[in-house]
Amino acid sequence: MTRKQEFEKLVKGEHTQKTLFSPILMHFAARHIGKTYGAFASDHKVLVEANCKALEDFDMDMVSLISDPYREASAFGAEIRFMDEEVPRCLTQVIQDEEDIEKLEVPDVYAHERTRDRILGAEAYTSMLKGTVPVIGWIEGPLAEACNLMGITEMLMHLMMNEDTSEQLLDKCLAMGKAFAKAQIEAGCHIIGMGDAVCSQIDEDTYRRFVKDRHAEIVRYIHDLGARVKLHICGNITHLLTPIKEIHADIVDIDWQVDMVAAREVLGAETILCGNINPVVIQDRGPDEVYALTRELVEQQKGQRFILSGGCEITVNTPFANLLAMRRASL
Amino acid sequence: MKELLEHIAYCIEYGKINIQSPFPPDMKGKKGADEYTKEALDAGVSPHKVLTEGLMVGMDKVGKKFRENKVFVPQVLMSAKAMNTAMEHLMPFFTSGDITPKGTFIIGTVFGDLHDIGKNLVAMMLKGNGWKVIDLGMDVAADKFLDTLHAHPDAVVGLSALLTTTMSNMQQIVERIREEKPSTLIAIGGAPVTKEFCDKIGADMYAPDPQGLLEELETAC
Repeated sequence: MTRKQEFEKLVKGEHTQKTLFSPILMHFAARHIGKTYGAFASDHKVLVEANCKALEDFDMDMVSLISDPYREASAFGAEIRFMDEEVPRCLTQVIQDEEDIEKLEVPDVYAHERTRDRILGAEAYTSMLKGTVPVIGWIEGPLAEACNLMGITEMLMHLMMNEDTSEQLLDKCLAMGKAFAKAQIEAGCHIIGMGDAVCSQIDEDTYRRFVKDRHAEIVRYIHDLGARVKLHICGNITHLLTPIKEIHADIVDIDWQVDMVAAREVLGAETILCGNINPVVIQDRGPDEVYALTRELVEQQKGQRFILSGGCEITVNTPFANLLAMRRASL
Repeated sequence: MKELLEHIAYCIEYGKINIQSPFPPDMKGKKGADEYTKEALDAGVSPHKVLTEGLMVGMDKVGKKFRENKVFVPQVLMSAKAMNTAMEHLMPFFTSGDITPKGTFIIGTVFGDLHDIGKNLVAMMLKGNGWKVIDLGMDVAADKFLDTLHAHPDAVVGLSALLTTTMSNMQQIVERIREEKPSTLIAIGGAPVTKEFCDKIGADMYAPDPQGLLEELETAC
């Protein structure tokens, strides 16, 4: 049975032979093949090679196209600088005032270098893996993208002060997310990850008022295109679990600050929970302790829709033995 | 007088900047922290009283509500904006010495990290609590912290990091400060940071939220 078939069984709630293992790897994966983070983020060939090597070396169950938050921002016009051993930097604030929101045009994802590079990554996975391994594409969620374009502080205050233009900007980010998701699905992605990390910093009312319906729209759109959706909001989302359930994402990433049992109770048996060992613990503790903590989580989620992962990205300095300990604990 | 101070505290708690501000919706068209602060000073309320019984009371309430997840970042930003607007009226009294800051706090997000929201929240809360804040921004190297510390030798230093991958950079900065100015009080914070990590790298204070830092500072300074 292929990894893709195992995943489909999990989606249907059927018994799988093992707990699926899909940690978020970026800088770690780059370092694992001796390449820089900058190369990983800027060249799909490096990203795909790094993920495929990690897939085999750590016996993972999925590969991903996640790299950094600024692919769409770059297509919208932001200047990006790649750093050897750091997350790429966004050097320009595309939205300075309300007039910029009015003028902002949703770019063609095939025409811009950074978005096209991710689409090429999806095609490379398809060609190499022949559909046997679930491929996770990636888009920025609408609020995260709006923050990338305007700045977090400015955007969060804009939400409070200027409802109409906030809606306008979020709609443009939504349109971009849908276009980018479609392109990646057509290139072979089976799942689209939607990263909207900033949502953990807003209250439930604000999430419902500005974000929830847009998340739901993206989920419906991706489902109509035949793919699954993985929602990634790092940080504590305990206060958002109820509205998140209403958007019907297939997979919800659960960071370490959220109690898995409480998340299961709210999100229900149909949702695949993905998480949630603290990445600092995975980095700092010994493999025996990582194994024991992982084993406890795996036992807790046994027989339920669950994918083992860190709460968020695996850090670059995580010992290989600790990632292998997680895998062993999930078998 | 008391009523004016209560208005100021209320406006700051609920993020009402001035009469033009549409936030919060249920206070639309009403006066904000800007107008009430000016009125209080014009009425002869001492600047110190405006700060301690108006602004600080409002920010204290916001800080506690933030800690208890009763408000989130957008609401705190609005409160901070209201506070900063009110503070503009008090600035001349800081300059003249009529109001003395509680101390100086040098804050920055550590090198390699370009996230500033947590750092900004802490800076705003400190200002609202009567501290002089020197904000070095994001991606700040040890040298910059040290240069600023040499110019303000009694200052407390605050290091912020949002990423698990950049929190380790805090250690290098703490080590440099310990080498050159060992008695400096160093506070650290950010989403991935813990008390355990604080102890491990030899920093003095850790708090999971801005209000916690204020309480730590009350004890330590």
